[in-house]
Amino acid sequence: MTSLGTSPTTLNDAADVVALLVLLSEFAMLRSSLSRSQVRLYAFQSLCVSILAGFVAATRHIVELYGLMGMSFLLKVIVVPLIIVRLVKEIRVDVTASHRIGVATMVLLAIVLSVFGVFVVGHLPVHSRSLPILPLALAAAVILVSFLLVIVRNDVVSQAIGFFSLENGVSVASLVLAAGLPLIVELAFLFDLLVAVVVFGLLMRVHHGRTGTLSTQALDRLRG
Amino acid sequence: MAGIELAPAEIQALQDLTILVFAPLVSGAIAHLEGRLQARRGPRILQPYYDIAKLFRKETLVPDEASWFFLAGPVVAFACYLTVPLLIPVLTQYPLPLGYMGDILGGGFILSLAGFAVGLAALETGGAYAQLGSSRAMTFGALIEPSILFVTFTVALVTATDLPYFEAAAVRSSLGQAIDPAHLLAAVAFFLVVLNDTSRIPVETHASTLEFGMIDEARTLEHSGPAFALLKWGSAMKQLILYVILINVFAAPWGEAGSRQIGPVLLAIPAFIGKALGVGAIFAVIDSSFSKLRLFKITEFMAVAFLLAVLAVLVLFLGGR
Repeated sequence: MTSLGTSPTTLNDAADVVALLVLLSEFAMLRSSLSRSQVRLYAFQSLCVSILAGFVAATRHIVELYGLMGMSFLLKVIVVPLIIVRLVKEIRVDVTASHRIGVATMVLLAIVLSVFGVFVVGHLPVHSRSLPILPLALAAAVILVSFLLVIVRNDVVSQAIGFFSLENGVSVASLVLAAGLPLIVELAFLFDLLVAVVVFGLLMRVHHGRTGTLSTQALDRLRG
Repeated sequence: MAGIELAPAEIQALQDLTILVFAPLVSGAIAHLEGRLQARRGPRILQPYYDIAKLFRKETLVPDEASWFFLAGPVVAFACYLTVPLLIPVLTQYPLPLGYMGDILGGGFILSLAGFAVGLAALETGGAYAQLGSSRAMTFGALIEPSILFVTFTVALVTATDLPYFEAAAVRSSLGQAIDPAHLLAAVAFFLVVLNDTSRIPVETHASTLEFGMIDEARTLEHSGPAFALLKWGSAMKQLILYVILINVFAAPWGEAGSRQIGPVLLAIPAFIGKALGVGAIFAVIDSSFSKLRLFKITEFMAVAFLLAVLAVLVLFLGGR
């Protein structure tokens, strides 16, 4: 029985829509050319992941997930985006479009990847009690598209955002597969994220200090 | 209450008449609202009727090089726009006899035939801008086609038919179907397709006079007189037809007549026009709050529509589990 009094299919549909928003914001990150809007999209994506966690907590009565929801909201929607925005402001580089290939081509490539991800996961014999299979398949697509984001964009901010959103994809997958995971494990994931933020922050500053830009294209110019 | 029952053929004729008569009204209302949103007074709501009436009284000029198709094209297109309302749910919830004649793809083919006729008539002229518009319209028409196909696939997967009436019935059947992720995605994708096909921002500035940014609008530059009136009227009808599909199939298929009684059928007309004006208001707001995309960026817009439509099919692929 569900706690909200509506039919389970409608609830599952709502969860599916939220999971879809996670994937769509990943696509939007892939094509947006401003670092700041990428960060905003990341915050939105994290918000969707938090909502999904709260949804599973409410419908499956898993109290720990409320804690996870609160923590991930605090960290991923507020703290991490603020840190990155501050870093970008300090560096004062107008990050222009850093696409290696055309946007339409990129989106088509990402579509192919997500179709692949969804089909592969769709064929796995997974039956989850917490969520339908669709969020898991979409999480696989999110992970693949975030890899693409890291590969085809050549500025450090995009690569950091790509890595963070990869973590969002993994979070969604863990909500489907291991909703009852002890809270301490989930918190360890979030701690990993914080470490990554520190590392990427350092990377951005060092890179900018050495090359005067955030673009990674300057890296192939070797100096002896 | 036992009212007069209308014959299906009469209702079908009424559907056509609704589109024919009210299309300029919806266009005019949108233009008026757009003017208001941009702090202008805007043209009168009935202005398109006056325009069309005036054009019918003007003489027709034909370029020297043009053949007979220059004048036949607008008529063919107009006939196509009169045919499509027979296939789609304008006023009724239940399929009318001719509704089985063609599915969504059939309707799409007829709309494409109309576009082809207008494009060919524009090519006839030898005018540089008309030809440019014709060529662009064909190119972008081909690029938006995959999205339309995938929306059709979604409808086919949801209803096991590809008749628009059944998709509307599926949406009406339960709230769950209305917020089904696949349906939402397909509806948004179709919304983007309509944005493109009614030549709205971000694809094209609707009321612009700047030839270089034109796509659909440029095709009619060489026409004049009654032929131009037919083209203008036809483009208003095409817009209303696309609104019908957006509203009565995907977004809000409520308010149509459920019986053949004369009362509900006649009531369905103001209900539909009201909904169309609501959608038109959304389009006017979009028109005033975004800027036009650069011509070579339009493919990005189409990639988004395609993405949403493909995701809809993907969701349906896993939805049954």
